[in-house]
Amino acid sequence: MHCKMCTLFDSMAVLMLFLVLGSSNFGNCMASSSLLSSSESTMHTNNWAVLVCTSRFWFNYRHMANTLSLYRTVKRLGIPDERIILMLADDMACNARNKYPAQVFNNENHKLNLYGDNVEVDYRGYEVTVENFLRVLTGRHETAVPRSKRLLSDEGSHILLYMTGHGGDEFLKFQDSEELQSHDLADAVKQMKEKHRFKELLIMVDTCQASTLFSQLQSPGVLAIGSSMKGENSYSHHLDSDVGVSVVDRFTFYTLAFFERLNMYDNASLSSLFNSYDPSMLMSTAHYRTDLYQRRLDEVPVTNFFGSVMETIHTDSAYRALPRRSSAGVEVKMPSEQSAHNNEREMLIDSNIANQSSGFKTEDQKGVLTRLWDTFGDRIEKIEDVDSFVSYGLFMMPPILLLFSWLSW
Amino acid sequence: MAVLPFRRVFVFFFILCFSLFYASVALGSGIDDEEFSEELLLRPLPDRKVLSHFQFRSRAPPNSSNGRHHHLFPKAISQLVQKFRLKEMELSFTQGRWNYDLWGGFDPISSNNAKPPGVELWAVFDVPQHHVDSSWKNLTHALSGLFCASINFLESSTTYSAPDWGFRPASGRLRYGTLPREAVCTENLTPWLKLLPCRDKAGVAALMDRPSIYKGFYHSQRLHLTSTEFDSDDVDSGIVLEQTLTVVLQTNGKKAVLTSQETKLQPSWSLTTMFGRKINGRCVLAKSSNVYLQLDRGLVAVLNNLQKENEISAPGNLAYEASRSNHGFELSVKPDRVLEEAESQGKNPSVLYEFAVGKYSNSESFDLGLTWKLPVVWSCQQAPLSASRFLMGSGNERGAIAISWKSSQLSQQLLHPDVIEENCKLQVNVFQVVPWYIKVYYHTLQVFVDERLEAVSDIVEKIRVSPSEDKVSPGVMEMILKFPCGMKSAAITLEFDKGFLHIDEYPPDANQGFDIPSALISYPNFHASIQFVEDKSLDKSPILAKFQEKSSVRSYTEVLLVPLTTPDFSMPYNVITITCTVFALYFGSLLNVLRRRVGEEERLLKSKAAKKTGQLPQLLLKLSAKLRGRSLETPQSSSTSSSFVSSKLILKVILVAGLAVAWQFYFAS
Repeated sequence: MHCKMCTLFDSMAVLMLFLVLGSSNFGNCMASSSLLSSSESTMHTNNWAVLVCTSRFWFNYRHMANTLSLYRTVKRLGIPDERIILMLADDMACNARNKYPAQVFNNENHKLNLYGDNVEVDYRGYEVTVENFLRVLTGRHETAVPRSKRLLSDEGSHILLYMTGHGGDEFLKFQDSEELQSHDLADAVKQMKEKHRFKELLIMVDTCQASTLFSQLQSPGVLAIGSSMKGENSYSHHLDSDVGVSVVDRFTFYTLAFFERLNMYDNASLSSLFNSYDPSMLMSTAHYRTDLYQRRLDEVPVTNFFGSVMETIHTDSAYRALPRRSSAGVEVKMPSEQSAHNNEREMLIDSNIANQSSGFKTEDQKGVLTRLWDTFGDRIEKIEDVDSFVSYGLFMMPPILLLFSWLSW
Repeated sequence: MAVLPFRRVFVFFFILCFSLFYASVALGSGIDDEEFSEELLLRPLPDRKVLSHFQFRSRAPPNSSNGRHHHLFPKAISQLVQKFRLKEMELSFTQGRWNYDLWGGFDPISSNNAKPPGVELWAVFDVPQHHVDSSWKNLTHALSGLFCASINFLESSTTYSAPDWGFRPASGRLRYGTLPREAVCTENLTPWLKLLPCRDKAGVAALMDRPSIYKGFYHSQRLHLTSTEFDSDDVDSGIVLEQTLTVVLQTNGKKAVLTSQETKLQPSWSLTTMFGRKINGRCVLAKSSNVYLQLDRGLVAVLNNLQKENEISAPGNLAYEASRSNHGFELSVKPDRVLEEAESQGKNPSVLYEFAVGKYSNSESFDLGLTWKLPVVWSCQQAPLSASRFLMGSGNERGAIAISWKSSQLSQQLLHPDVIEENCKLQVNVFQVVPWYIKVYYHTLQVFVDERLEAVSDIVEKIRVSPSEDKVSPGVMEMILKFPCGMKSAAITLEFDKGFLHIDEYPPDANQGFDIPSALISYPNFHASIQFVEDKSLDKSPILAKFQEKSSVRSYTEVLLVPLTTPDFSMPYNVITITCTVFALYFGSLLNVLRRRVGEEERLLKSKAAKKTGQLPQLLLKLSAKLRGRSLETPQSSSTSSSFVSSKLILKVILVAGLAVAWQFYFAS
């Protein structure tokens, strides 16, 4: 019911937009198109992670362990809790069947308690549904939903989307009762792209026939990796006889093995991660899809998605906020990807220069005032003894006060 | 002329200075007013377990003194209070069920801190009547974000209710909801701990080792806040936030083989064996930081008896004599103070040992231990009646809910002098919420006293029922019952029909059954309070203040699990498969019959066979033809056959025409 209302509202909005566009002139359209292109060239400014375990019931312990392992890894590599949306479809840690209450292990040796002391689960139990998942991705929540349950990403965000559960050809099961289809996912990602909710998105799926889940994706800037090809199963790694169930899946286990060697400052690239998967160890073929992704994988560090490591920009003057536009200019120095974009870039730079020149003009107009202020500042700097200045000021105050009160008398 | 301005300036300066001074004083007092205290109460339980009750209390002065900023008080909570204009709110997360028979049902802890399993939330709002529901909805969402739980399921009007007087006196601005199946785990405790100024890094809260807490038999994490900010008439005391964690733990960490002597002995315990941690000093921000060890009345009575048997010569009672060690048990730390109950029903008062945590530090940590020397058996004080609730009936169509009461020993003791009076009545309040798919017929209410059916009007003093509405609101029942004092047992029953849910409304694990939330039974004439010997410093300790508060004895019943008719969710799939098979068979065979031309196929086969068999003779023919030097005659064979067929056809047509002509001729004539 609510969703229907939403769509109705959206369609209304679209209609209104058309009307407005129809009435406006051509230049307006040009402006909107330049806005779109500018979103593509924004800087990577923040990282988000959406980690989803879709399986209910105790025997799916390993799926929760998978998700929590990833949660721990991204937290260790620098993504804060408020930028991680963690969805766990069942409660395993305090499950009556769990011999180790409030603890979840992903290894037989029980060295590492994944649940820790400081876990924040955003969606859990019956809340983990296809509807809520799509709402998180597309950001179409009810107004009352708190910030901690929203994916508040923007056009500078790199998002890691990790999903694990039971899947099949082009679907992923949620809670053993409903399915997320590859078309749904592709549609959600497309909406995210339209709404500038991400700059780059890495989808990582650990299910059977995982690569089929992202076969429908079309949006640029999306990189996807799945644990298995079509027709292949993804297997669990090992069974913990104390817990009584399998505790981790193979794909996630080897992903973690790769990350355990890294810290926040390592520069390992995505291609080294992707090449680390050995089909004979996974017992399936890890498949990744790069045709929608512009950058070369061996130039992208894994911390771009699994951590929160930002690029630093040096500026000559201190305390001067760098506008977004000029940051786009900085990026031009990096190796460019496609010649098609270059033209737009140049136009952008032109507009930048125009902006700056207009800024100079205004400075000239203000010149008189600023010059006065500058001279005043110089004077103040010349006074060496500040205390004496203050005391002079205090001495001056009573006469001034007297004068004013006399005037007002 | 010149003097007057001067005087004015002087006055102006004076006023300026004075106002500045006043402001600074006000600011200073504002900071001082905000206070926090932490306390831990330990109590040995008769069934070899130990009750640990953590209590943290923060108080924020009224809003006006320091704006939006707080020194100690959690900002998230004050924002909640401001935004939703909360007068009072209580949120509890519980796992396990309080054992009223063994752990007691007549003390402040059991009646205030024993909560129904899952999540229970109630709140009183200070908003106009028509805004209450929307405030409640927004509050549930905010809390779900704050405490990492799916409290937002309480948003739907089918899950919450507006009790009138059965739950607690309220002016229609109270909303109450429970989620019996909500899991409670570390992720709920962590944000709760983050509200404390020292979190779990220092002070009493440092004991909270997650695995040992969740290993317990019962744990209930509660948050209660009262705000007087929106009251104009009342004394403005700001916001008071009370956070409690009640845990019942098994004492023996390691399972050693016990000798027969040791099995009789209560297990000895210490903080380390229970929590695996010690207290390394207090939270420096806390105003008071104490640990209490409480021995309840029953235990004190047993110990006193033991003392009388053993050392008749040595007089003096348990509390005032060597407080660290007596004949029954030994404490590892000497208490700083021993408090005794001021006035009790029996002559054996409850005893409280107080330990101040402030003097301990990292080098010398606080690890309270209790070693039993003699085997003791005692029982806790119970509620006047012990209530339980169960389901009756079988099948997926209908059933009945029954609540039964049995009188405990206490009620006989308590009421003994009153029995002489004819019109002695025992008042019991019942508050029960039933989800809409359990359609209760309230007219079927039956009351049994001592297994005899009584007229409802004789027992039920007051009743308020708001029947459930399908998919809109749950059924609420509030009752005041007055039982005769001398009765042994009582029961009420209500019949119900089970409803049907829409296929989308079933949870993924519908086969597990559906929960009916706990009913609340309270005894308004009995007050669970313990008055300790009056002391000037007593008002400082919130836990003792809580003990002295006069609150009625309450208990929650069991959660009921009702199996509903659940569709076999794979059935539609099976039906579709079978129907499709049947259709495929039907249409397939039909098409086969209609479209297939058997004669032609046979002919084709024949011709094929002929071709196959005729290969050798054809070769021979070819050979002979070549030998003879004439063209091959094979193409003609088909034409001859076709001419043969056509001649046959012509014959048939002629035959039919002849028949028709004969028919015509015969009938025409």
